[in-house]
Amino acid sequence: MFEQIKSYVDAAVDFGLKLEADYVIARGIDRTTNQIRFSQNKIDINKEWQIHLLELFTVVDGSKIAVGEFSPTSEENVRKRVEAQIKFAKKMAPSPQFQSIEKQISKYSQIDGLYDPKIVDYREKAPEVINASIQEAQSAGAKRVAGSFFFRDNYFYLNSSSGPKGEFSTSFYNLTVRAFQEELDASGQGLACGTIPSSAEKKILNASKKAGHYSKLHLGAKQAKPGIFDIIMAPAVAANLLGNIPEMANPLLIMMGMSALGDKMGEQMGPEFLSITDNGLLTDGLGSSPFDFEGTPRKNTPIIDKGVLINYIHNTSTSALVQSETTGNSELYDFGIGTKFLTPIGTNVVFNNGDRSFEELLEGSGKPTVFVLCNWYTRFTSRISTEYSTIPRDAAFLVENGELGQPVKNFRISDNLLRQFANIDAMGNDRTQIKWWEVEFPTWIPTIRVKDCRITTATQ
Amino acid sequence: MSFSKDLAEYGISLAQENGANYAEARVVNGKKIIYFLQNGELISGSELKTQGIGFRVLKNGGLSFVSVDEPTKKAVKQAISAGLKMANSSNPKEKIDFGEPVSNKAKWAVPIKEKITNIDSDTMLELLSQMDKVAENHNISSRANFFEAHSTQKTILTSEGTNIEAELSMLKFFSIITAKGLLDSEQRWVDLTRSTGWEGTKTWIDEYNDQCAQLEKVAAQEDYRLNGKVDFVVGPEVVGIICHENAGHPSEGDRIMGREGAQAGESFWRDLELGKSRVGSEHVTVLEDPTFPGTGGYYEYDDEGVKARERTLIREGIIHEPLLNREFGVKFGLGTNGSARSSDYNREPIIRMANTYMKPGDFTIEELIEGVKHGIYMLSFTEWNIDDRRYQSKYVGFECYLIENGEISDTMVRRPIMELTSIGLFSSIDGVSKDLDFDFPGICGKSDPSQGVPVYAGGGYLRMRDIRLG
Repeated sequence: MFEQIKSYVDAAVDFGLKLEADYVIARGIDRTTNQIRFSQNKIDINKEWQIHLLELFTVVDGSKIAVGEFSPTSEENVRKRVEAQIKFAKKMAPSPQFQSIEKQISKYSQIDGLYDPKIVDYREKAPEVINASIQEAQSAGAKRVAGSFFFRDNYFYLNSSSGPKGEFSTSFYNLTVRAFQEELDASGQGLACGTIPSSAEKKILNASKKAGHYSKLHLGAKQAKPGIFDIIMAPAVAANLLGNIPEMANPLLIMMGMSALGDKMGEQMGPEFLSITDNGLLTDGLGSSPFDFEGTPRKNTPIIDKGVLINYIHNTSTSALVQSETTGNSELYDFGIGTKFLTPIGTNVVFNNGDRSFEELLEGSGKPTVFVLCNWYTRFTSRISTEYSTIPRDAAFLVENGELGQPVKNFRISDNLLRQFANIDAMGNDRTQIKWWEVEFPTWIPTIRVKDCRITTATQ
Repeated sequence: MSFSKDLAEYGISLAQENGANYAEARVVNGKKIIYFLQNGELISGSELKTQGIGFRVLKNGGLSFVSVDEPTKKAVKQAISAGLKMANSSNPKEKIDFGEPVSNKAKWAVPIKEKITNIDSDTMLELLSQMDKVAENHNISSRANFFEAHSTQKTILTSEGTNIEAELSMLKFFSIITAKGLLDSEQRWVDLTRSTGWEGTKTWIDEYNDQCAQLEKVAAQEDYRLNGKVDFVVGPEVVGIICHENAGHPSEGDRIMGREGAQAGESFWRDLELGKSRVGSEHVTVLEDPTFPGTGGYYEYDDEGVKARERTLIREGIIHEPLLNREFGVKFGLGTNGSARSSDYNREPIIRMANTYMKPGDFTIEELIEGVKHGIYMLSFTEWNIDDRRYQSKYVGFECYLIENGEISDTMVRRPIMELTSIGLFSSIDGVSKDLDFDFPGICGKSDPSQGVPVYAGGGYLRMRDIRLG
């Protein structure tokens, strides 16, 4: 089925070597992504992206790098694109960051549940699932329901001139559902994601029910008051905020001034009951795969161990620069502004599960406490000092007598992320996978309570 | 092999033959040169051919979008087949209507003097190297610089007869600069995007020098802060972000009617009345206009083939006109005002801003300052955000000076916080200067999957009274 893209990938590597490239990595992708968007209780649009892509990484003259991608149409087309890319690479200056690529040929682990064999048929079924999801949110109290439902079917084939070669298929689904009352500011959110869409209906309906339930519970929200509060962060909030810290354990971000962890190796950053790994082999993980872009097997790399920063993620080049080993995190990554380059990138960020039930988290310390279901628009004054603010959206409540009390609205969390990370004081036992608009890397995280956070509000 | 109009026409015919009420194709063939440098050292580069077609199909009131990157009849046939099936299966409770047919035919091009494709890589890299030296000379320790040169041919064809051919040229320079400050690390994100030929880079070194000098100054400032109530005079960069966030986004018709509910959010305009509801003082008129050549938001026809024009979002403090595409033009009963944009062939066109700005007023900057007894002159901002109804906003000052007794002093004010509602903010304005500078170029993100489109924003200087600092 994928013989054509495989032959183009192999041809690209052969052409590159004939043109005296030092290294060539080619990866073919056959991908179909679908999305159903809905709002006001109805489907707005049904989308599909058909992608037939060849990604190409080339190194010439020792360390002159060029990266390209194109949709291959024939061997001749592949030859021309490889030739053009190598010509372009020869005009580059040597990259001081490039050291090498993976040379070890490995046997790759099989990851259970990475691919849904029923995904092709699922395209027919998906609109029904979404209509059921809308009804579920309405039954739970929503007046208006909006959302986005993605699912994807992926095939990858990799061939590296240094030896590694392999193929795998993945699939995923990802639902964001938001429920509203008639009022603009009474809303709730539900999220569901995983790798097997055809068996996800229950999770999808539960997410919708949760969104509807919280939107109703949030009716009558009052203006929050500024001050210092303990904040109980639902997993979506914890992933967007606290998840930043392990994501910053990346040499590229440190180099670019986008990480607070450049001088923190070996430091106690969080409580002793907190450990975080980057796990590229996790069952049901949206970031899982058998190997990375260089063909290095994925690993489960501890980043924070008992609160101490112990590792950065690496690819072959960044690890060689610090006399370390690759962690199997090499990817061609698009920084969001159209520029793709080879860099270490996280797979699944995995927080350890906690030991507290939601009710136990609510019991708290007796200090003023707020529960926040969702947030968005997190912006930093400086990524190094981590001063930031973010805006809770959807349901938020004061915690009163160990229970969710008065719903509140219109406030910001304006604080310092490093300080909040150190101030984590309890973790729930409800760890779940989060990936949505505000959480780029799949993050497995429970509800987390953080003490002494600053809340601000509009002054007029 | 590139995508031809023939392939697009083939897809549209196929859709019509199979019952589509409307079909549209956006054909893109382009080339991008990309470089990434860290502290002057070249890390990676790309020369990319970008090509593909995005189709929208409307059938029985259901809408679908499908994109394909393989330039073959077989791939297009498969795409249209999927598009028709998806439009059918979406079975909307309320049928989607694009209104009166549009059948514009035009060719337009970004005005250029020097074609990007004629510039060799040595010239590009030499410029980037000089720019890095500028930053280094300002003691900026970390410089991550991204450069992109795009030249693109885009054709929009529809089953109603629209045929718009555009020749686009875009230069992007995006830089994350970090300086070790007296009190903290200070960072600035510099964006010099423009829709021009290579001649647009002629001022880049000077512009980048100004931005780096600003960061150097801020990094050296002491911890002088203000509390309580102050007046503000804010410059074009800050006016730009305010117009974009507090006026532009809430005016988007799809937000107002809830279509962005789960992602970018809704809008506080939903509960207001066009032409009647006051959201600011009489000094506030906010305009939107894609037709300024050279700007990031420049276009002559939108991505539904509709002629671009100026839109008045807020007139003298009263909300006036939302941004609309064809679908929401019907829903509002106002018709489209040419606001549909898609960031690439593989994104559906949705309602977007282009260039958003405060209409110049009657004051000089000196007159605005003269009237301030105790206040802050805020030239730029750092951290900012706004809620998803676009009502609660926060802007933290970056380069800011104390104003005392009608004069700007040399004393820098550190990170003053303006945390205000949109109405609180616009209502506090009592004067707008005669100037107009688009000092806030940026990439505006919206929707899911995200569509980053280049926009400009700006205005002159404006004065805000009695702002309680956050």
